[in-house]
Amino acid sequence: MTDPLLNITRRHFFKNCAVGVGSIALASLLQDAAYGAASSSQIGNRTSPIPARHHPAKARNVIYLFMAGGPSQLELFDYKPKLVELNGKPIPESLIEGKRFAFMDSSFKNKSTLLGTRRKFQRHGKHGAWVSELFPQQAKIVDDIAIVKTVATDVFNHAPAKLFMNTGSSQFGRPSMGSWVTYGIGSEAKDLPGFVVLQSGPRGPRGGAVNWGSGFLPTIHQGVPFRSAGDPIVNISSPDGISPAHQRATIDAVNALNAKRLATTGDPEIQTRIGQYEMAYKMQTSAPELCDLSGESQATLDLYGADPAKPSYANNCLLARRLVERGVRFVQLYHTNWDSHGGPGETLEKDFEARCKEVDQASAALVMDLKQRGLLDDTLVIWGGEFGRTPMGENRTSTGRNHHIESGTMWFAGGGTQPGIVLGETDELGFGAVEDRCHVHDIHATILHLLGIEHEKLTYRFQGRDFRLTDVHGNLIDKLLA
Amino acid sequence: MRTFLAILGVVFGTFASVARADEGPVDFAKDIQPILAQHCTACHGEEKTKGHLRLDVRSLALEGGTSGASIIPGQGDQSYLVQRLRGEGGEEQMPLDRDPLPAEQIALIARWIDQGAHWPEELAGRDVARKQHWAFVKPERPVVPVVSDKSWPRNPIDNFILARLEKEGLKPSPEASRETLLRRAALDLTGLPPTPAELDAFAAGPSTDAYAKQVERLLASPHYGERQARHWLDNARYADSNGYSHDYPRTIWPYRDWVINALNADMPFDQFTIEQLAGDLLPDATRDQRIATGFHRNTQINTEGGIDPEQFRVEAVVDRVGTTATVFLGQTLACAQCHNHKFDPFSQKEYYEFFAFFNNTDEPNLKVTGITDPREIEAGKARIAQLEEAVQEKIANWEATLTDAQRAQLKPDAREALAIPADQRNSKQQEAVKAALRSVDNDFGAMADALVATSRQLTDGVSTLILAERTEDPRKTTVFIKGDFTRPGEPVSPGVPRVLPPLKAKTEKPTRLDLAKWIVDPENPLTARVTVNRIWQQYFGRGIVETENDFGTQGIPPTHPELLDYLATELIESKWSLKHIHRLITTSATYRQSSVVRPDLDHADPYNKLYARQSRLRLDAEIVRDVALASSGLLTPKIGGPSVFPPIPDGVMGLGQVNHPWRTSTGPDRYRRGMYTFAFRNSLHPSLATFDAPDGIAACTRRIRSNTPLQALNLLNDVAWMEFSRGLARRALSEQSADDATRLVSAFRAATSRNPAADELAILTTLLARARADFANDPSPVSDLVADQTPGGTSEAEFAAWTLAARTILNLDETITRE
Repeated sequence: MTDPLLNITRRHFFKNCAVGVGSIALASLLQDAAYGAASSSQIGNRTSPIPARHHPAKARNVIYLFMAGGPSQLELFDYKPKLVELNGKPIPESLIEGKRFAFMDSSFKNKSTLLGTRRKFQRHGKHGAWVSELFPQQAKIVDDIAIVKTVATDVFNHAPAKLFMNTGSSQFGRPSMGSWVTYGIGSEAKDLPGFVVLQSGPRGPRGGAVNWGSGFLPTIHQGVPFRSAGDPIVNISSPDGISPAHQRATIDAVNALNAKRLATTGDPEIQTRIGQYEMAYKMQTSAPELCDLSGESQATLDLYGADPAKPSYANNCLLARRLVERGVRFVQLYHTNWDSHGGPGETLEKDFEARCKEVDQASAALVMDLKQRGLLDDTLVIWGGEFGRTPMGENRTSTGRNHHIESGTMWFAGGGTQPGIVLGETDELGFGAVEDRCHVHDIHATILHLLGIEHEKLTYRFQGRDFRLTDVHGNLIDKLLA
Repeated sequence: MRTFLAILGVVFGTFASVARADEGPVDFAKDIQPILAQHCTACHGEEKTKGHLRLDVRSLALEGGTSGASIIPGQGDQSYLVQRLRGEGGEEQMPLDRDPLPAEQIALIARWIDQGAHWPEELAGRDVARKQHWAFVKPERPVVPVVSDKSWPRNPIDNFILARLEKEGLKPSPEASRETLLRRAALDLTGLPPTPAELDAFAAGPSTDAYAKQVERLLASPHYGERQARHWLDNARYADSNGYSHDYPRTIWPYRDWVINALNADMPFDQFTIEQLAGDLLPDATRDQRIATGFHRNTQINTEGGIDPEQFRVEAVVDRVGTTATVFLGQTLACAQCHNHKFDPFSQKEYYEFFAFFNNTDEPNLKVTGITDPREIEAGKARIAQLEEAVQEKIANWEATLTDAQRAQLKPDAREALAIPADQRNSKQQEAVKAALRSVDNDFGAMADALVATSRQLTDGVSTLILAERTEDPRKTTVFIKGDFTRPGEPVSPGVPRVLPPLKAKTEKPTRLDLAKWIVDPENPLTARVTVNRIWQQYFGRGIVETENDFGTQGIPPTHPELLDYLATELIESKWSLKHIHRLITTSATYRQSSVVRPDLDHADPYNKLYARQSRLRLDAEIVRDVALASSGLLTPKIGGPSVFPPIPDGVMGLGQVNHPWRTSTGPDRYRRGMYTFAFRNSLHPSLATFDAPDGIAACTRRIRSNTPLQALNLLNDVAWMEFSRGLARRALSEQSADDATRLVSAFRAATSRNPAADELAILTTLLARARADFANDPSPVSDLVADQTPGGTSEAEFAAWTLAARTILNLDETITRE
């Protein structure tokens, strides 16, 4: 059915938005997201065509498991026997000369010494990827994931580094990756936002909402945080005393009056608003339905380690699967408190182990579950923090590790990535890359590529300049592609 | 043959010069340019432009550099260029660090200048973008165009608009209805809708200048300052917290109030600018002038552990440079932080010269309430010292006389504290000792109380963030290589981009005050244009220059350049009166047109850039709230003061790294205007963020207007809007007439400023009837809906039904739109 009102809206957007992929995508977004479109709002409908891309897409959706605080790769994936051997020895000057670190004073007042991991590592999978004892479940999925050991970033403080990982800039005010993606190719979700953020851990990630902000892009592209307790979206519940029937009656009356105003003024924005009231109404039903895990089988709950009664990272991983099933383009999970300096609450022992336990099973379960449901092929799963940790120990109440921008580990699964590989190698102390260094900008370029977007062509003009997620950088990581 | 000679001239330039030193006319191409190219332009050229002097481009060479004109045609010996080449006047001989030019060559240059410094057009050199770009040329007052339809224009704005429309064969739209017009002007000027009484008076008033009188009333309203301040605060990136990851609260609302007061008083925009950029440097700066410098304290402050403080100090200066250039000059100077500007004539060095104006600042607080007189503060401090000494003396005397038996009777914490030498006790131990002595000595208690009270007197009160020039240990500014503050490059002095007029201050070290005065100097081609353009944007949704923050070569040229210059010169000639510009625009026929979309313009002017009609504009976030508050009768119209905490949905404040408390305001502060809602940069109140209020992280010179489902959820479900709905229901029920239609019309009109049409009224009547029937059937939702707010003489079910009807009205697109 051709909806004349949709045409008005589409034309309006074409007229008023910046030209480029974005404006076409916005029109797709409008259509795909049923902004006044007549298509079915059936849950789990993933049949609508992928909107226009620069090249054929491998990935439709992204689930980004963001390990906020920067997990230590040296305790998890980057096995360095030499570092263990040299435990307690001073770091070679040549490595740290001219480098900058966080906590410069406290870390380097007394010469830092090398810290070998206490964790046992074993080879796993067909290709013998090293994984430590702290990730026994993820060790089982190494044949399905690509482990990248040479992730390099530019900034070493938490908030700016998270911004950098999310927006490609450590400056506030730039759009996040999820915003760029929905701006570029819209979303297929009929009754949910295209970019959803889930959080677990004792506190929010540093920097807060700017991590999923839309910067200078239209706010329709900003990440919508779903809360793990209470209402999943701000104001998603009708006020006390408003029955569903009265909510519907109110929206009908509002839309009928708005339609009259549309007829009088001819302003297409009114048509958009009518569509948004319909969308809001649908979200009031779909969001609670989405978050209600009671329909999941016990086997699925057990796979993730999810308990519907208790907010957790595991629940969020399961929610992430449900979100991409419903066509949500970009889902980002934050799990916090990975910081491991060695101080209270930040030990590399008890606290780090606790974090590992919180994420290990569910992270692996997500990949397995997506795979068994046939969703992994076109869902890109990303695991990683904002930076890695130093091979040197940092002495606080116990010995931990400092922030490190030269190397850290991330892994990728599905969505057109090469499964069962370990990409990149660090030097024998794990300080920096010796081959296949993957900078954050390169990772951004690659993620966009998998979604069918050329990172150099997805631009938005702001303050007289064409901005990109990758700024003026970024090279495709070919070896990561299937 | 000519070619051969030319080459010969270049190759054997020296020889040629010598040969011709004393005879005949000097040929620039053959004699002078080779000398300049060989000896001068490496430092005075495009790559390097030392002393801001370029000798490779005719216009720039003749214009001179920092030291003034270098070439005075006809006066070779008096020309600075020749003097420096000869090493005269006590200054170093040019070229620096190289052998001086042969005397013959210098003589040749002098003679060339004597002969008029003729520099042929074909060798004039490229002076790309400089001065030719429209925005870098000072606006001249344009001739007001003549139009055919002489009856339409109400002031010169309309001539400029109509002239263009007539050229395109288009006709302007008819004037909007009276109620639309009054609502438009009231919302645009004060951010509050007209009251029914105001609407009645205006509708009834026969006088031809009734509308103009309304504009005068609105311009004089104290709410004018509030509305216009909120626009300015977007530029100033105002918020009530520190930003970055911790985002702790800060106190800087005195700056916000300063803006409101300044705009209400119609402080001239030049003064408004100078006080905000450099109020602290004005002679005998007043308290208010120092508060005004809060403009550049609206930068973020990083309190995260492990940071390099210098990095974030530099970030703040970078922000000040970028904001100043964007807000006052409409330039993307920030692009030149890491490299020369790709498109506009700003070098990286010029960026750091501009940076130098802001680099030597400190970031103190200024106490604005409580004891603020420095003499009183000194006296208070002296009194505290006295009391402190007396207290310590008394403690020492008491300790000296304490017997073991007496000690044994003291509380354990006091006994422990007394076991430690007096000068080694921590504050907790000191308090334990004081408490012990207090219990046995009333005089001591009084003395200790006086100490606490005096200290509190000094610390109580409000301090606001201000900027101050650093007096000790001034910072040196250098270029940062690739914008990296850890890589200092060439040292620079404060200066302004060369493409713009030079600073008038001729001192060695121009100050921020000199910069501020330069920004508002009528010679500056940008400031007035950028300012009137942003005002225009408020009223039409788009600037005459659409890229309101980029008047550079990459920006979109003005749709109506003469109108822009007319308004800019009008601003300067009115002694920078902003109210004058607001009055001009709001009384123009252009502004007063209907906003109804015209199909005939769909192809002729799809973007409404020619202004053949007005535009419907969704209200700004704060005004969305204000309209609901005002129409529901709940508004607390108080102006200024500390920011407030209206209800916020659960969990919002828990999203950041640090959970900040939100103590929801009760009483009148619960219903303050949106601009007073406490603004945490990282967790802006959802009702503001959802409607595109900026977060104060960077200067925002134009808000976007999104249209999202979250906005619908906000108006439908937010607890505050339920309160507003009850307020509007009460208002409807307070109508004398018990007639539903009369009451619905009253509520509808309170929100939209017009009476509903019959079919519109029918929709509301049906909803009301249905709600009544439903509540008669099942009254269970009623008590939640009325929340004990039912007015006397009305049943709860009736009030609940009216609350639903009012809620519908407050959700209308029209309610949150200026038509």
